[in-house]
Order: sequence, then C-alpha cells, then structure tokens
Amino acid sequence: MHADSVNKTSSLQERLGRNWIAIFIVLLVVLFSVSARAFFSVDTAQLIFFNGTEVFLLAIAELFVIITGGIDLSVGFVMGFSTVVSSKLIVMFAGMGLSPLASILAGSIVMMIIGLLPGLVNGWLVAYLRVPAFIATFSMLGVTHGISELMTQGIPTKNLPSLAGIIGNGSFLYIAPNGALSFFARPQVARGQTVIAILPNMVVFAFAFILLFAFILGKMKFGRHLYAIGGNIDAAIRSGINVKRDLIKAYVISSFFATLAGLSYVMKYITGKPDAGANMLLEAIAAVVIGGASMAGGSGTVGRTILGALVIAILETGLRIIGMQTFMTYILVGAILILAVIIDQVFPNRNR
Amino acid sequence: MIVIFSFAGPGFFDIVNFQNIIHLSTGTFLLAAAETLVVITGGIDLSIGYVYGLASVLGAKVMQILGAGGMPVPLVIVLGSLAALLVSILPGLGNGVLITRFKVPPFIATMGMWGICNGVTLFLSDGFMPVMGAPSQINDIGNSYFLYIDPSKTVSFFSKPPYITLTSIRNIRRLIPNSLFLTLLVLFILGFVMSRTRFGRHTYAIGGSMDAAVRAGINVDRHLVMIYVISSFVSGIAGLFNLFQTGIGNYTPSGANYELMAVAAVVIGGASLTGGKGRIMGTAVGVLVLAVLENGLQIAGISAFYRYIGVGVLLTIAVIIDRAFPDMF
Repeated sequence: MHADSVNKTSSLQERLGRNWIAIFIVLLVVLFSVSARAFFSVDTAQLIFFNGTEVFLLAIAELFVIITGGIDLSVGFVMGFSTVVSSKLIVMFAGMGLSPLASILAGSIVMMIIGLLPGLVNGWLVAYLRVPAFIATFSMLGVTHGISELMTQGIPTKNLPSLAGIIGNGSFLYIAPNGALSFFARPQVARGQTVIAILPNMVVFAFAFILLFAFILGKMKFGRHLYAIGGNIDAAIRSGINVKRDLIKAYVISSFFATLAGLSYVMKYITGKPDAGANMLLEAIAAVVIGGASMAGGSGTVGRTILGALVIAILETGLRIIGMQTFMTYILVGAILILAVIIDQVFPNRNR
Repeated sequence: MIVIFSFAGPGFFDIVNFQNIIHLSTGTFLLAAAETLVVITGGIDLSIGYVYGLASVLGAKVMQILGAGGMPVPLVIVLGSLAALLVSILPGLGNGVLITRFKVPPFIATMGMWGICNGVTLFLSDGFMPVMGAPSQINDIGNSYFLYIDPSKTVSFFSKPPYITLTSIRNIRRLIPNSLFLTLLVLFILGFVMSRTRFGRHTYAIGGSMDAAVRAGINVDRHLVMIYVISSFVSGIAGLFNLFQTGIGNYTPSGANYELMAVAAVVIGGASLTGGKGRIMGTAVGVLVLAVLENGLQIAGISAFYRYIGVGVLLTIAVIIDRAFPDMF
C-alpha cells in the first residue's frame, strides 16, 4: 500500500521530468501572454513558426548527424552558401529570359542538388578517411564560407524577382472578411478590413520536408540504422549495416536541410549573404539537445527536436514582442541548453 | 609555405613583416594556447572566443566610466584591466563546475557559456557597437616595441626616442613588439607548466585515461575546474590585449569563429581531440601556419576570402596526415 503510493508519486515526478520541455513551453507562453496582451493570438503563433523556419530546418539538419554520434558545424555556413548560390542562380535564370516563377523553381531545384555536395564531402571524410566530424565539418564551414564570400565580394545578392518575396512572405490560405477563401493570393478587400492569413508558405514548405524525414527516421530501416550506428558503431558494423554509406547519407541529409534553410531565407528576405546563418549553429545544436538527444549519439527524435526548436523560436519572437533586446535571447538559449542537460541527468530515460 | 610566399609577394620575407604577423595574431596565439590545455584533457572550450570579446568590451566599458569620472589615467587603466581579468575567470569557473559537478558534456557547457558571454557582451556594448572612450594611452602600451634602434644614433627601450618626428620614424628599426613579448611570456609559462610540473603531468594523465587518473589519486574534478579557469583567464588576457592594441572594446562578431580557429591551430599542432596529446609549442606552430597563410595571401594580393578555404583544407589535410603517421608528433 505504502510502497504503491511511493511508486505512483515517483512515476508522476518522472513523467513531469520526462516532459518538462512541454511544461516549459506552456510556462513560456503564459509568461509572455501576461507581459504582452497581444502575444496570445493566432497571428503570433504563426509568426513564431514563420520567424523560426530556419531554426527548425537547421535543428533537423543537426539531428540526423547527432544521432550518429557526430556533429555538423557547417550547417550555418552551408545555409549562407545556399542563400548566395540560389539567389545568383535565380537571377541568372531570370536573365536568361525565364519567367520569375520558372526561374525561382529552377534555381531552388538546382540549389537543392548543389546543396548535397558539402554533405557528401563531409560524410566521405568522416566515414572513409576517419577524420573526426568536428574537424571535417569545421573545414567545410571554412570552405563554404570562403566560396560564398568570393561569390558576393562582400555585397549581399540583389535583383531577385519580387515574386520571391511574395512567395516567401505569403500564406497558403486567406480568409476574406465575407468568408470567402482564397489560396496563395491575398484577396482584394476594402481598406480597413482585415484578411486572416493562415499557414505561411515557408512554414508549409519546411514542414513538408520535416514530416517526410520524420517518417524516414522513425519508420524506415535507414532510420533504425542511424540509431544503431550512434548507439554502438562496432555492433552496427557486425550486424551487417553498411555504416559508411549510412553515415554519408546522414551528412548529406544534414547539408540538404541547411540548404532548405537557405532557400527559405532567400524567399523571406529577398537577398542572400554568406553569414546569413552564422550565429544559428548554437541555436540548432541547442534545439536538438533541449529536445533530449545525447551528444554521444543514439538518441533523439524529430518531434522532440521540433519542441526544442519551438522553445528557441518562442523565446526569440516573444522577447521581441515584449521589447527585449537580442542579447537576452543569447543568454537564455545558453542557459536553457545547459539546464536541459542537467535535467536530463536527473531523469535519464526521457527518450525511451 | 614560407618559401612560396617569399616568391609570390616581395616584402613577405622581411623581419618587419614577421613581426607584423605575430603582432596581428597575438589573440590567436593566446586563445589557441588556452584551448590546448582543455583539448589535452579530452574536453573542448567553445566559449573562449566570446570570453575574448567580453574582456575587451568590459575593460573598455570600465575605463570609459572611470575615465569620465575624472580618475587619473594610470589608475583607470589598471582598474579597467583588473576588472576585465577578474570577470574573465567567471565563465571558466562556470564551465568547470558544470562539467565536473553536474556532468554536463564540455561541448554543451561551453557552448551554453558561449551564448551567455555573447549576450552579456552585447548588453555591455549596446548591441554591436564598439565601446569607445578608453584612455588613448593604452594604445601606446599595446602597440609599442621593446627596443627601438636608430641606425645612426641610439638604442632606446619601450618608447620611441623623444626627438623622433612622424616623418623620420620610418628610418628606425623597431624590434620585439610588446605583443611578441606577451605572447612569448604566456606561451613559455604554459609550456613550462605543461611539460615540467606535476600539474602538467596530471593534465596529460586525465586526458589519457580519466579512470586511471582517478585511481592514481588525482583530484580530477578540482584539476578540471582549474584547467577551464586557466583557459578562460588566458582568453581574458587576449581580449584585454586586443583592447590595448585597438583602443576600443571589440565585441566578438557572430561569424568570427575564434574558438574554432583556435581548435584548428591546436589540431594542426598535433593534438588529438580525444585528449592526452598535444603540446603548447605544437600549437604555436599551428597558429604560425594559419597566420603565415593569411598574411602571405594578403601580400601576394590574393583575396582574403581564400583564407577561409585554405584553413579548412589545411586542417583536414593535417588530420589525415596525423592519422596516417600517428607517431609523428
């Protein structure tokens, strides 16, 4: 009887400990809603996801590598590389006489293919030449940074078709005041009336890929192999997994998602620059670790990583709404990152 | 490499230029030396780049405030420097305690500290503004030379001969910048500690095998805290000296990657990220390789952006060579 009740409380505690991140998000939302009345709204919720698109994408990029027990330091500058190359490509295609839509599509697709290269090299260095992931991806950081600086010569890219901004800042669905729905294009309404915009395009774009890769990681054999490699690489080799090929795939996926983050940046801000993602490395790794993954590898899920990234996205947008300066974001992200690891040590089986 | 650059850019092979190389990379030398200690223990310190910026900005801020209060200049400089050095101990203390007591992996603990230091620095510098207003005399300390030789007349120490005018200053030989002096001093002390003292041997022991070190009776936790404090403190010295060289408190820009450059120099210098291996002198060579690369590219007139690529490629090659010949260093 007595032992039973002890068990119950400890399991409640454990449950709280394991899901602290969800509780923390609720707390954050309550806190921001109290300090700024405008915070608690559909618009703000969408804004959080809209502002955080790149963080979400980079966090997923980092997740695939961290699961294998590696690290990818290059994601931020692969993202910058992607903003530069894709915008140059789009401008080039537009100059060749393609329509704006066609040149944006062509530029993005070509970029997605080019964006596989950094990951391919990283993965090859790590898997075949046994270069530590830290070194290989740091080298790639330097190479992508150098190439994109050389391409821009210090000037952010410009002359992108204005359609890019319309796509990047537009929404999937608009509801006019009279109840009429329209897709993609903002309906013409009388002055003073408000149109409700739902699902920003870039959020839909990002989550389409994130869901696809959540399925691959969670449900397919390749995903199980990644966890096996991160858990115990020798056991993975002995059980017949093609470890080298799977490692390369993990790094390629990482640089692919960093490329997507770059494309999202170009569409949103209609420009590209080498350091577009320079300070996002901390945020990407923080999101993965706050989401409960271990740097030693073998754990972490897409869902929890998204929660981790959501914490950062809420902080960034929330602090901006209540009028705090950016420096608070850095301090808080750093503190929460450390806190997350400490809490995980108190409740070690969060990821089971 | 030195040979190639000597041919590619006239003026490269010159004593003044070599002094220049070292003068400009004082910060990198100190940061890399700091990182070496941590890497030898098998850890990593990602916060040093922002401790560097924090010390520079904080020192400038304190000097600015005290100077505006009408305090005499030497006192302002001393107090400002002391404040910067004292505060630079704190991140290291935090890192050490988190890593030993709370078992946070070094990568995470120091990355969190990176965010915190960056935030505090931005707060002090009002969001990406260099802090001005430190007394101008600090530049004299940061940029003067140990020895001035006027070929025809005299030799003088520390300050330029008083009769020298701006136009004739080009004729004198200036030897041993104070920055070189500081760099050599710090490298010598750390090198001595690591190779000749029990503290150094314990550091290698911890990096070689943590368990063996514990069983050998080394107080590993206290030792690790000290290592992270030293790392942070040396970065603080580097940041403070940056203030003395430039005269303004410079925050660390987000794309600067000082900490990664330092790790690169340490690894090029032959250390292993798994710990137990590495020497201060090796790291100094690693920094020289990076500095010569950068300076040589500049003098040869090649775009500075190639250096990012150069550093990356060089680093990977260094590791691959190290893997192929593991006993070389």
